[in-house]
Amino acid sequence: MSTIAPQFRLSRFIGSLFDLIFWVILIFSLVGLPIVFIVLFYIKLPVINNQLMTPYLAMTWMADPSRTLPIVKNFMHTTIFKVMAFPGFGFAALLAAATIFVERKFLAKIQLRVGPLYCGKIEGILQLMGDGFKLMSKEIIIPAKADKPIFWLGPLLFVGAAGAFVSLIPVAPGWVVANPNVGLLAVFAVIGFFPIIAVLTAWAANSKWTFIGGLRALHQMVAFEIPLILSLLGVVILSGSLNLSQIVVSQEHFWWIAFLPIGAIVFFITILAELERVPFDLPEAESEIVAGWLTEFSGMMYGLIQLGTYLKLYAFAGLFVVLFLGGWNGPMVWPPFPQDIVTQGITIGPVTAKFPGLPLFDQEMLNGTLWFVIKTVGVILLILLPRGVFPRVRIDMILHTGWYKLIGLAFINIFIALGLLYAGVLGPGGFLQ
Amino acid sequence: MVDAVFLALSVLTIGSAIAALEIRSLIYGSIALMLALSGVAGFFLLLDAPFVAMFQLSVYVGSIAVLILFTVMLVRRELIFNKVEDKRRRYAGIALMIVIMLGIGTIIIGSGLKTMETNSAEVDYKKIGEDFLTYYSPALIVMALILASSIIGAMTLARREDVIDGQRAD
Repeated sequence: MSTIAPQFRLSRFIGSLFDLIFWVILIFSLVGLPIVFIVLFYIKLPVINNQLMTPYLAMTWMADPSRTLPIVKNFMHTTIFKVMAFPGFGFAALLAAATIFVERKFLAKIQLRVGPLYCGKIEGILQLMGDGFKLMSKEIIIPAKADKPIFWLGPLLFVGAAGAFVSLIPVAPGWVVANPNVGLLAVFAVIGFFPIIAVLTAWAANSKWTFIGGLRALHQMVAFEIPLILSLLGVVILSGSLNLSQIVVSQEHFWWIAFLPIGAIVFFITILAELERVPFDLPEAESEIVAGWLTEFSGMMYGLIQLGTYLKLYAFAGLFVVLFLGGWNGPMVWPPFPQDIVTQGITIGPVTAKFPGLPLFDQEMLNGTLWFVIKTVGVILLILLPRGVFPRVRIDMILHTGWYKLIGLAFINIFIALGLLYAGVLGPGGFLQ
Repeated sequence: MVDAVFLALSVLTIGSAIAALEIRSLIYGSIALMLALSGVAGFFLLLDAPFVAMFQLSVYVGSIAVLILFTVMLVRRELIFNKVEDKRRRYAGIALMIVIMLGIGTIIIGSGLKTMETNSAEVDYKKIGEDFLTYYSPALIVMALILASSIIGAMTLARREDVIDGQRAD
């Protein structure tokens, strides 16, 4: 039973919805339609295909799938669609938002709690939406002695850098926003921006908690960037390319994790540290320094940082999949598109609708996306798992791990890759390729 | 299009370089320095050298600028800078810069750079690696030695044997 709104009655809620619809229709027909006709009276309508382009004709064209589907299909191959919707921001933000909710429920189940429960009746499924509305409606408080320009810019830059990282991850063959020849180096360049943003915003907030957190973030990220880069060199040596799409193509037969397990483990640990997740969450250690470098953020500024953090999580998980788990490669499980719909159309009673523009996506792309998403979600769950299991470690232990052990292991990984290459097992001309 | 981008990048780079020298606040100065270095990375992108551009970003913006931020934030300002200012020094600096730029400019213009082919294809990074391991291998060895010696030197300088670390577990 909900304790938030004890007076709630479903019948009244539905009744109020009908009320709302009634008033919208009434106001539209009494005010909206006359305004539309008055405006139409003064506008000179164009003539297209020897037909006067009346609003009714425009609407019939819009409702005709044989005319609109090619436009939609064309639009889906433009850069703006790729940036905003599919392999870019929309897709990643959707996965990131799902991650936030899944994380709460997942950790609750691990620790025998219930997690979000009330919002949305079924297992608190609307909790995330409620949190989003709360963050958007909250007041943004800026500390009086903060350095305002940097403080305002910090969250935006953080989301921007995370978005740049997301744009480099290939999801399906040909479906990637930016596909430079030096993709992996671009990833390293983007990763280098995060510690700067963290320490600048921490300094700008002018509070000791943020500053301590920011310095911890800087130490940690700088220490773990080197093993991160070194652990990926093995993959570059074996696949002979820096382009992320070509690295995926090179794993058609074998995933690199089978040959470079040490590199994969080192990379996974550095992911945890770069994302400031437990057991390396010292920059946000909430029991020691409030919320670390996020302490002074409120309202949507905090929301933006949170969005950026989870976009970054998705991007790192995607990078792990692309480099070690074979990216979009996988057996073809997606069913082929039923050709009857294209040739015969769909018959509903007396009406037959034909869709000559279908299918919108080809089978290969859908299958690739499916495998990529399955693997990425698995890696994301693995990244979330330590938070329910491990305690936080001390800063000197983190730095010791990063500078001594992981760098040593990364070099061992490079030597394994070189050995495989020179023994003629893998790489260009190898007998397994 | 390229001309407009080039002009914008030039204004950004030179403007933020001047700002990095002139701004009072050290933090803003280092941010301006980062902008100037990113502008240089943009020039490399315009010159069809994404390999160098990405290294410019990850090394100069990602590491050098972080080091400068570290220094600025952790060291008291009075220890690094004294506040004595001299107008004549500034003018001398500007004059020196103009002389150097004129000299380098005449050398570059006289070197036949104008007759260079500008529409050549993007240089593959694999070719760069090959060249480094074959024709330019002495340069690679010298660079490796310099880097190794500087790392050893840094470790020697940072080592302190009189401090006992009570925090260490081992």
